[in-house]
Amino acid sequence: MTAASVREQFAETMRAVGREDPRLVVLVGDISHGILSGFREAFPERYYNVGILEPTMISAAAGLARVGWVPVVHTIAPFIVERGFEQIKIDFAYHRLGGNFVTVGGAFDYSNLGVTHHCYDDFALFKGLPNAEIVAPGSTAEFDLLFRQFYRSGHVTLYRIPGVQHGVPLEASAIVAGRAMLIRPGSDLTIIAAGPQLRSAVEAAPGLTAAGWDPEILYVHTVRPLDVEAVRASLAKTGRALIIEEHMESGGLGDDVMRAVRDAPVRTASLAIPDQFVTEYGTYDQHCERLGLTAAGVIARVASVFGAAPTRAVRA
Amino acid sequence: MTATVPNLELRRRIVNLVREGRDGHIPSAFSIVDILAVLYRGVLRVDPTRPDWDERDYFVLSKGHGCVALYAVLHERGFLSDEDLAGFCRQGGILGEHPDYTKVPGVEASTGSLGHGFPYATGIALGLRMDGRPNRVFSLVGDGECHEGTVWEAANLAANLQLGNLCVFVDWNRSGAQLLPIDDLPARWAAFGWTVQEVDGHDEAAIGAAIERVEFAPRGRPHVIVAHTVKGRGGGITEGHGKWHHRIPDDDEYAQIMGALA
Repeated sequence: MTAASVREQFAETMRAVGREDPRLVVLVGDISHGILSGFREAFPERYYNVGILEPTMISAAAGLARVGWVPVVHTIAPFIVERGFEQIKIDFAYHRLGGNFVTVGGAFDYSNLGVTHHCYDDFALFKGLPNAEIVAPGSTAEFDLLFRQFYRSGHVTLYRIPGVQHGVPLEASAIVAGRAMLIRPGSDLTIIAAGPQLRSAVEAAPGLTAAGWDPEILYVHTVRPLDVEAVRASLAKTGRALIIEEHMESGGLGDDVMRAVRDAPVRTASLAIPDQFVTEYGTYDQHCERLGLTAAGVIARVASVFGAAPTRAVRA
Repeated sequence: MTATVPNLELRRRIVNLVREGRDGHIPSAFSIVDILAVLYRGVLRVDPTRPDWDERDYFVLSKGHGCVALYAVLHERGFLSDEDLAGFCRQGGILGEHPDYTKVPGVEASTGSLGHGFPYATGIALGLRMDGRPNRVFSLVGDGECHEGTVWEAANLAANLQLGNLCVFVDWNRSGAQLLPIDDLPARWAAFGWTVQEVDGHDEAAIGAAIERVEFAPRGRPHVIVAHTVKGRGGGITEGHGKWHHRIPDDDEYAQIMGALA
């Protein structure tokens, strides 16, 4: 992967998959036309910058799917997920048509653009669609590999392109749709991270260790279908989990993890966006700092929820 | 407006469906049934034995609440059985008060939420053209449905994509004008770049002639036929706007309506 950002990787993946699959069609709502110029020039008959009419872009994409095309719909997250939700629900999901929805500006990535351009309820909304798939890649490799694995699933698939990457090296062969990834084995605490927040989890590990914890880090790039078995296995071992994600607390990954282990004698806590609008301006990092979506935030949340680390026998 | 009311048998079937199923929109169905009868009897290339035939013409009923008319016509054309009709709005049946693509042979889209079917049909038209296929795409929207922004998004998109293989009927029964009286729909569609015809939506010969005049082409202006219609046309007491929009006739009303349709 040579792309500098996940968004550029999206463009490269479209060109590569478009070359392999003559049914792939890309529709964009007046964004990313610069980086998608390679796709447009290679496949002009399969590229449509339809302008600023997101609901109809989605309905028309469903019509394309109805006659055998494989559509990719791309624009800013709230304009697909929130404005076009009914079109995704009826024209795609209820019609049992496959479609790929690739967003930028998820959560508060457009940090200075305000609530109109934020979208931290996308996981929750897509969960309302039976068989929907939710992918939150945190690196270029994940986008490329997971898109290829999901794009012809026959279901509606959301790909949330993040503005930053987590920076944690991952083995490409282990990036598998619907499978959580064990980043660090541990014994008494599981940190479950989605998307770019894997960085916070990894950076928190030394501090947690210093505080006496032996944290296990589980990385989730596929929010739906969630790797329930991996979650249960980890919590069966550790008995505690903190879930960190850039989503509202309601309806996010945390809810699904808690549901997966609701009958088990475990404790869980969430580190997410409170169920409120993010009204501040500033950089992405400043939003993360304020909301505690950082390594320090992880350490503080673990201490406040789980208290002191359990006393373990000192190894020889 | 033509003085005689055509398709009395289809209209009686619609009334019986609504009466027996205890649900449905009779006036909306009467408003469009003559257009659907013309389409399904002699215009659309469809095959009831192969609803998904690749070479068929597509018809998307965007104003889904008029579906009882579509059911009656699909039954006449052989897509639906007597048993299918008997299951209208009953548990285990395939026919509800809005048409369901996942259940009903011959129905191309699950509509009912207004402003979906026509944009969906726009995508079908584009997709067929991308494959170089000659199939034609028809849709029908209501004038009230033309309040929906997505109707004009799709009108804009289809004109700019030059979808000359797309023909839309507007059921202009003036429902929309009750609320938003500025409704010069022919001018509006023309301004969006469509070829525009106006026709008496209850005159089968005129409807057929209008369709004949449509010059379908892979690329070109999309086509709209604005049909002057009367809501509840032919049912006597069902005509016009008001309580009949979603009313089930009682015994006395049923007798009056069937008398008008005799």
